[in-house]
Amino acid sequence: MADEPTREWSDEQLKSDDLPKKDLIKFIQDNAAHSFLNEHKLLGNIKNVAKTAKKEQLIIAYNQLFESKRFKGTEPIEDVTEHVKSVKLEDKPKELPTEVVDEGPPKYTKSVLKKGDKTNFPKKGENVSCWYTGSLEDGTVFDTNIPTTARKKKQTKPLSFKVGLGRVIRGWDEGILTMSKGETSRLEIEPEWAYGRKGLPDSKIPPNAKLIFEVELVAVD
Amino acid sequence: MALEQLSDVVQRCQALPDDRYTTEDHDVFTISGRTCIEEGNSAQVLSLVLDEKNQDLVRCMGWNLLPPLIQVLLKKDSEKFSQCLAIFNHLLQTCRPKELLIGLLEQLEQDDPDTIAKSLHLLLNPLQKVLLCLGSHKASSLGMTLSSVLDQVANLPLPHTKEQEEDDVFSLCRCCTDLIDFVKPFVHEARQNLLNSEAQRESTKRRAGELGRDTRGIHELGTELLKFCMKTLSHPLLEVQLKDPDTLAESPLRNFATEIMHTLSAIGESLPSLVYQPLLKRKQVPGFLEEEVRYPKESLASLAHLVFVHHLAADTFPSVFSPVFGLRCNMEHICLLLSRTEESRIQKGLELYEKSLVRVEDGSLPADLMEIKTFLTVPQTLVKVMTVCPRHDLRTRGLKVLQLSIDKLDTEAKYNFFQYMLKTSNHSGVEGYVIKNIKNQIDTALQPGNSNTWFEGAHLLPLLRKVLSLPDGPETDLLQNLDRIMESLNLLRYLIIRDKVTENQTGIWTELYKIEDTFLKPLRVGVNMSRAHYERELHDTMATKRGKAKVESLLSVSVGDEKLPNMTSESQIQALHSALHTFDMIESVLVRIEELTEVKENL
Repeated sequence: MADEPTREWSDEQLKSDDLPKKDLIKFIQDNAAHSFLNEHKLLGNIKNVAKTAKKEQLIIAYNQLFESKRFKGTEPIEDVTEHVKSVKLEDKPKELPTEVVDEGPPKYTKSVLKKGDKTNFPKKGENVSCWYTGSLEDGTVFDTNIPTTARKKKQTKPLSFKVGLGRVIRGWDEGILTMSKGETSRLEIEPEWAYGRKGLPDSKIPPNAKLIFEVELVAVD
Repeated sequence: MALEQLSDVVQRCQALPDDRYTTEDHDVFTISGRTCIEEGNSAQVLSLVLDEKNQDLVRCMGWNLLPPLIQVLLKKDSEKFSQCLAIFNHLLQTCRPKELLIGLLEQLEQDDPDTIAKSLHLLLNPLQKVLLCLGSHKASSLGMTLSSVLDQVANLPLPHTKEQEEDDVFSLCRCCTDLIDFVKPFVHEARQNLLNSEAQRESTKRRAGELGRDTRGIHELGTELLKFCMKTLSHPLLEVQLKDPDTLAESPLRNFATEIMHTLSAIGESLPSLVYQPLLKRKQVPGFLEEEVRYPKESLASLAHLVFVHHLAADTFPSVFSPVFGLRCNMEHICLLLSRTEESRIQKGLELYEKSLVRVEDGSLPADLMEIKTFLTVPQTLVKVMTVCPRHDLRTRGLKVLQLSIDKLDTEAKYNFFQYMLKTSNHSGVEGYVIKNIKNQIDTALQPGNSNTWFEGAHLLPLLRKVLSLPDGPETDLLQNLDRIMESLNLLRYLIIRDKVTENQTGIWTELYKIEDTFLKPLRVGVNMSRAHYERELHDTMATKRGKAKVESLLSVSVGDEKLPNMTSESQIQALHSALHTFDMIESVLVRIEELTEVKENL
């Protein structure tokens, strides 16, 4: 605990004309918490503050400082007001920073069905293309982009997207980053990293559904 | 007379090669031929037209007979119908496609919706046949045709209720169905072209961008169809309210929408790419249309609505995208729709917003989202809807969606959002609503296990200071700012009751002396001043009323060109009483707060 500052002047000394405003301001600025200074309009260049503040106000502030004990270091979170006041407006939509928080073990498992080239692994932000089939635990297929005949497969394109940016469910984002080009794997994803408690309303995915995807990573940009 | 002229010119031209027909021949044929048909001599015209000797002439000039023929065909009950139909069909087979196209397109323009609908129904099929004869250069002609057709469709009244759609009195639904049949072969051709060019690219490993002359034509057809789809997404699809299968099992409009979406997929435009376009960087397609023109924002918003609200073509839309990503993309569409004044747009904007939010877990949206422009502009447009939109149900719904959007934010994001709204909404009702939300958040934070640094502790005080303040000091118009002031007082009263002096979790007790200075005291002053003023007004008005003197008002108000009658004295008096009652109400809460404060401080 830092020692509290002590009064430098008595009441008479304060009122006296011998004590210039600047000294009083400097003392308060040196010793008071940022928010105290802000409220009493004592922030900034001493000369400017001296121009706008009357001696009486400064004496009051000085006394209040000791009464409230709002010294420097008593309010650790200082710049909160400034920070939340400035809400930035951006023209280009930003990519969200990825979560650095470690939330525990991954909520999916992967079993390799066909090995990939083990060299071309996608990096975050890169474009990947996949064929996939998604089913629920009971076997219901809720989604696939693989057409039924080989001929039709030539006419359809695999699903293409930028991986690792939160554009797809987390199980995919994390799982596909561990796959190499040409690999086919089975991803079993817990609901927390899929569609969670809500599921996809009005669709085949119920709440709290574990999803099973068979994914073939066709291309990495 | 006309018949003789016609026979003459036909005879004369039999002997000539077609490059020797004169302009006069053309004119005589056209005028006399048309007159014959108009006068009912279609039988004779038919035999002339069918005569083998005249085929060169027919090929060259026959198309000029289209206008009167089509007029007859539109009036189905004409006795000359079958003859004219025979002439018409023969011309379609014999004349040059380009000329037929011009003749047919001209006839699409009619005066009234009924006739427009009839001519569309009559002519789409012939137009299709003619276009299919144009070979590989049909793209621009198809584009022209589709454009003219859609222009005419825009003149047809839209069905709004389920019954109107079923009855289809103005045949809009039938036109849409006909349109789908019309474009089918062209869609098929475009799809084939796409496959062929991709196969070609595969086999010769040509780099994308190096397209040969042939393939440019290929992409043009797809481009025209894309233009068509984008246009229909705006009109009629954005204007009509599609009915769900439970409401209307067979809906031509819903089918139309679905077919448009299938068409987009067929010409190589992936639905996810279109819907998520705001956030995706599009490849520069070598073509002649720029991005914004190629993919009009309004059409994409309409498409997003079809996908997310009506779940059309759901089986072709991948179920792997994250709900937050969907929300981020949709915010752009929502912003566009909510910024419009047409109620149909606003309603769809609200629906899309709701559906996008519902997929997201409560309290999960992080604070960095608030740095994205649309997450700030959408609430602002929502406030406009809630306060200014003429339709009551849309205003109410807007408020509901606002609350939903708040619920999805995490705690820090809520904090930032409330700050933002207090700063920018400039509307007492909205501010009051936000303050009520702040109170709820504080209440939640004070419950065991929910502690956070935003609604208690260090961050709360700056927020409270913004809430517990008067916008214009003691001169604040209390009546105009009533909602905000009452909610602020409620919040303060809540804090005093809920937070123990000894615990001071919210910091309110150390702050109270300042709040007294900056909020409560000026408010008391304001109440007293206002009360004095209104009491004076009341006194004067009652005196005036008794004196029965006519008071000339300084202002008049008119709504829709009608001047509203001046307030009667009775109404004025009532209003003044109501104002005074309001001041009493404010004062009673002030007094209560004082009481509670004293009690607690003395504990």
